[in-house]
Amino acid sequence: MSDGLKELLFRLCEAGGTPGGEADARKAAEKEFAPYAETRTDALGNLTADAGDPDSKNHILVDAHLDQIGLIVTEIDRDGFLRIDRCGGIDRRVLPGTAVTVCGKERLSGVVCCMPPHLTGGEETVPETDRMSVDVGRTAETARKLVRPGDRILFRTEPKCLLGTRVSAAGLDDRASVAALVRCAQLLAERPPRCRVTFLCSTREEVGGQGAVTGAYLADPARAVAVDVSFAAQPGVEPEKCGRLGGGPMIGFAPILNRPMGETLLALAEKNGIPCKRDVMGGDTGTNSDAIAVTRAGVPTALVSIPERHMHTPAEIVDLRDVENTARLLAEYLWEAE
Amino acid sequence: MMADWKLLKKLCEARGISGREEKVRELILREIRPCADRIEITPLGNVAAWKKGEKKPKTKLMISAHMDEVGLIVTHITDEGLLKFSPVGGIDRRVLPGKSVTVGENVRGVVGVKPIHLLTKDEREKSVPLKELYIDIGALSREEAEAAVRPGDEVTFGSLFDTAGGMIKSKALDDRAGCAVLIDVMKNGLKYDTAFVFTVQEETGLNGAKTAAFAVKPDAAIVVEAATAADVPGVDRDRRVCRLGAGPAVSFMDRRTVYDRGFYELAFRAAKKAGVKCQAKQAVAGGNDAGAIHVSRGGVRTAAVSLPCRYLHAPVGMIAQEDFLAAPKLVAKLAEMVAEERSD
Repeated sequence: MSDGLKELLFRLCEAGGTPGGEADARKAAEKEFAPYAETRTDALGNLTADAGDPDSKNHILVDAHLDQIGLIVTEIDRDGFLRIDRCGGIDRRVLPGTAVTVCGKERLSGVVCCMPPHLTGGEETVPETDRMSVDVGRTAETARKLVRPGDRILFRTEPKCLLGTRVSAAGLDDRASVAALVRCAQLLAERPPRCRVTFLCSTREEVGGQGAVTGAYLADPARAVAVDVSFAAQPGVEPEKCGRLGGGPMIGFAPILNRPMGETLLALAEKNGIPCKRDVMGGDTGTNSDAIAVTRAGVPTALVSIPERHMHTPAEIVDLRDVENTARLLAEYLWEAE
Repeated sequence: MMADWKLLKKLCEARGISGREEKVRELILREIRPCADRIEITPLGNVAAWKKGEKKPKTKLMISAHMDEVGLIVTHITDEGLLKFSPVGGIDRRVLPGKSVTVGENVRGVVGVKPIHLLTKDEREKSVPLKELYIDIGALSREEAEAAVRPGDEVTFGSLFDTAGGMIKSKALDDRAGCAVLIDVMKNGLKYDTAFVFTVQEETGLNGAKTAAFAVKPDAAIVVEAATAADVPGVDRDRRVCRLGAGPAVSFMDRRTVYDRGFYELAFRAAKKAGVKCQAKQAVAGGNDAGAIHVSRGGVRTAAVSLPCRYLHAPVGMIAQEDFLAAPKLVAKLAEMVAEERSD
């Protein structure tokens, strides 16, 4: 595994970015790509980075999304508590008592209110997100000066090392894939591919994938590979529907995906000793590959996924080896392309 | 009295669930050794420290706070390398999913849940049953987990201490904030001889306080605690117990104790004399070391002074700095007034 991958990933995770509010995450990603590729930002806030031969007809788009799930402030009540709603598919069961960062005029630390047990009728129910509040410990007057409706809220948890090569952080979905793209760009800088490559860090995936729609349109690629996280084995997840931590990237097979590209990726993994797994889905994939594949007149698209536990919680976990192997597999694919 | 956030931060960040108070005790001993006349560690691990004043008290007073915090304990390691656990102290299971924890010596972990994408509609709306929760330390096998942790290891919430906006947010404010208040009172000194007691195992049944009170044999006691402040959205005004910024809360009754009426009145007079705010704890809810102390030996007249704390027994509690700063003043004045009273 390459040196500095963990630090790269942690830097990317520490910069927050909720759907439509990806500026900090974009700046962080831009800084990482800058030494290896020329970058630009488009109208929807997507970041693109170019690599390979700009004159090649074989233009391959490699996508990972920039945004992560979070909360959005809807109102500030008369006691200074913030009313909230979901910004992406957050799991409300993890919210009570969670430490958060409110991205207002300044960054404010807060807590999602939880009722004291003696005042609630048992522990069974979890209120709807829009019935919850965030406490930043300020009076209404101060809170209104610092926070406005529409401001975003992130989980407040520092990235940390678990046992072995496993790490946990909020926003690993999908910064783990962004890290794989950056790492891939590093590999391509050492040995440029013959094809033309556009790395796309797309916005708004967690609310519908609008960034990928416009980003893929603008790039107008010949082929595409979407990179995202998928389920790793854990309690409650059926083994046949998931990969496993350290088990290598998962290669998608689904009606919307291009089958030969998937087979090529599998063959390249085998040839280069990269562990991987076939990840079969019955319909669409629930990732940006669904939108990218139907861009303009259609783009043959593959999907590579990094196994992740506890998706959409502050407790997401990935294995750094899987991030590295995803980067290597992407590089092998791009080197192979004519 | 200057706010010592550094000491409070150290106290809150120290890890010590009930029965595992060693690190907290070490910290406290380091702080109080220079100003104590005598220190005794009782068989269960309580710290009893005596400090002489200018005078002998008419009523022998003990002031106490507990050292332990709520947390979890590892009960079993699964074949997959995940840790099953039991709560230590009263934890609402709803605050557990997705939280960061530290296990054993210093192993980082998270409380895992099934991804939202795979939940049934029913599962989405209900809190996760305790038996489905587990701690994930990133182990890929039982062997890997066993090399790092063992059943019986303590689990504490990850620490995020901050003092922004006039508040203090941290794990374990219950009752490290009380410990900090005691240390402050002790360092500043009292007019009368006083016993300061830092107890163990409050959260699991007041065992520390029971044995400490027996050992110290006081005539009267002041328990310094953290109390639920339910001044949050969705709670009616009459059910808020106490609120942040209105001063320390004085108890008249909780589920363990009917407090000494005279001391209850005295506390409000003490607050006035000390020039600090003070409020009644307006609910017969919760319980604390007073429950064991007031029935020790032949009985001990007892008062409880609590710091209003939101999100008690959750990963991040919140108290107001002004309440925290008022507490030592109130406790010191109350102590003086109690010691001046005749015990009979």
